[in-house]
Amino acid sequence: MGILPQLILNSIIAGAIYTMIALGFNLIYSTVKFFDLSYGVMMAIGGYGVYWLYKIIGLNLGLSVVLAILLAGLVGYLADYFVYRPLRRRKASTMVLLVASLGIFTALQAVIAILFSSQFQTLSAGEGKIYEVIGGAITGVQLVILASGLLIMLALAFFLNRTRFGRAIKAVGDDEEVARVVGINTDKIISFVFFLSAAIGGLAGVLVGFDTGIEPTMGLNLLLKGVIAAIVGGIGNIYGGVLGAFLLGTVENFGIWQISGEWKDAIAFALLIVFLIFRPQGLFKR
Amino acid sequence: MPYLIHLAILVGIYGILGLSLNLVVGYTGLLSVTHAAFYGLGAYATAILLTSTGLNFFVALLLGVLITSVLALLIGLVLSRFHGDYYALGSFGFNIIIYSVFLNWQSLTRGPLGIPGIRRPEIFGLNLTDNFHFLLLVLAILLLVYFLCRFIVNSSFGRALRAIREDEQALQVFGYRTTFYKLIIFVLSAALAAVAGSLFASYITFVDPSSFVLFESIFILAIIILGGLANLRGSLLGALFLILLPELLRFVGFPSDIAAQMRQVVYGLILVILMLYRPQGLVGEYKL
Repeated sequence: MGILPQLILNSIIAGAIYTMIALGFNLIYSTVKFFDLSYGVMMAIGGYGVYWLYKIIGLNLGLSVVLAILLAGLVGYLADYFVYRPLRRRKASTMVLLVASLGIFTALQAVIAILFSSQFQTLSAGEGKIYEVIGGAITGVQLVILASGLLIMLALAFFLNRTRFGRAIKAVGDDEEVARVVGINTDKIISFVFFLSAAIGGLAGVLVGFDTGIEPTMGLNLLLKGVIAAIVGGIGNIYGGVLGAFLLGTVENFGIWQISGEWKDAIAFALLIVFLIFRPQGLFKR
Repeated sequence: MPYLIHLAILVGIYGILGLSLNLVVGYTGLLSVTHAAFYGLGAYATAILLTSTGLNFFVALLLGVLITSVLALLIGLVLSRFHGDYYALGSFGFNIIIYSVFLNWQSLTRGPLGIPGIRRPEIFGLNLTDNFHFLLLVLAILLLVYFLCRFIVNSSFGRALRAIREDEQALQVFGYRTTFYKLIIFVLSAALAAVAGSLFASYITFVDPSSFVLFESIFILAIIILGGLANLRGSLLGALFLILLPELLRFVGFPSDIAAQMRQVVYGLILVILMLYRPQGLVGEYKL
């Protein structure tokens, strides 16, 4: 088993996770135009939701996953309802929204740590099956990650381009005032966007939890990777975000192969900063 | 009483951090979330110089400030290309990169083990191992920093900074090289953060990377937003408030692990509530 196939596989798996996170983030950003950092805590809520329902309460796996994703979505909805919507009414600047989202993120992350301790936990029950693809090893969970990433990308693209509701979301993103004038209930649309994005983030958190594990601080790192992917790909552009995610996954994995594992985050941010300097609009312009 | 002195020293150090960050965020309107990195650079530079050489504390402090300023200049050059959200995100990135350096450049920083045994400063043969004497030093430097900041913001340079915050393009039309202004204030702010870092390192006599994580930058940001942007006294007020508030939680009787998390919950809620009801903070003169 050579190192190269495994590196490629790892890059793709990381890319699929970042894809999901970048998609949710892009959806929020392109609709309400601010960096919603509270989105990061949704991954931890998803992961801990499953931990609580499946490992502590003892529900069956499928139901726990679904409920955990819905829980993350609900928290996203509530954050919008209680914080962002009043701020939007007041025409608060994007900086105010950013700082508020930072506050929500910080507070909820600490609440999770209080409820479940800040220890690293694992979700998976024992050794899973390991498959061999193109000469590298891949676990069952990682196959699910790949499938989910692909599925969410396709579903979201279909939803945004082909359904009335999806087009309404795009309209709100283009110009909220005009969208309201033509009779779109913009508050309802934006609420839904927050729900949907948070649910996607929750799913990503659940999958990361089964793949590696959960800790209350997992969200920030994942969020930042998703944001980097979104910016590298061209913010607000679905396919750009996907490409950015895979580029990030590849650069990270080959980077840690060449340098060393501890520098993974620094490598990711170096990629971001190189892009911001030389190509701030990202790979694809919106 | 020793406990109160300890808190007063912390308030002093965070006061310096708040004042210096306010120059960038409050007066110039650049949302920088990388202040803990410069704070850490100052702390590590001092720690390494004091433990590996026989240098005087104040020489080590100045060298730390110098090193931090050079790095801040480079980082500021990159950041000067960004605006708004992107600026915030880019500065996030630098905080994480510098934290990674603290954590991973093991031959220099000893990584997660940290650097113990940092000496306390000595002035005219008087060793400041006594916390009360150290507090006097911190207060003296805090006062110096306060008046320096006040001098800056009241000068014509300070007015130009506020003008950049309100309308950068208009100022460019008048022939001001705004990038230059933004760079100078960024480097100056970083240098003052390094001073705070030096004090912190020699006070605690130990540094490790965990003191300079991204959350620390957020905490300093919370101090100045709570106290009020573009108001120097506000920064001191914010530091006082946010250092003392969690100490009250300790008296409520939470176990220490939970108390640490409760602090974060409180800081987070403060940010949210301020944004909702009072975005200018307690005595601020500028809204984000």
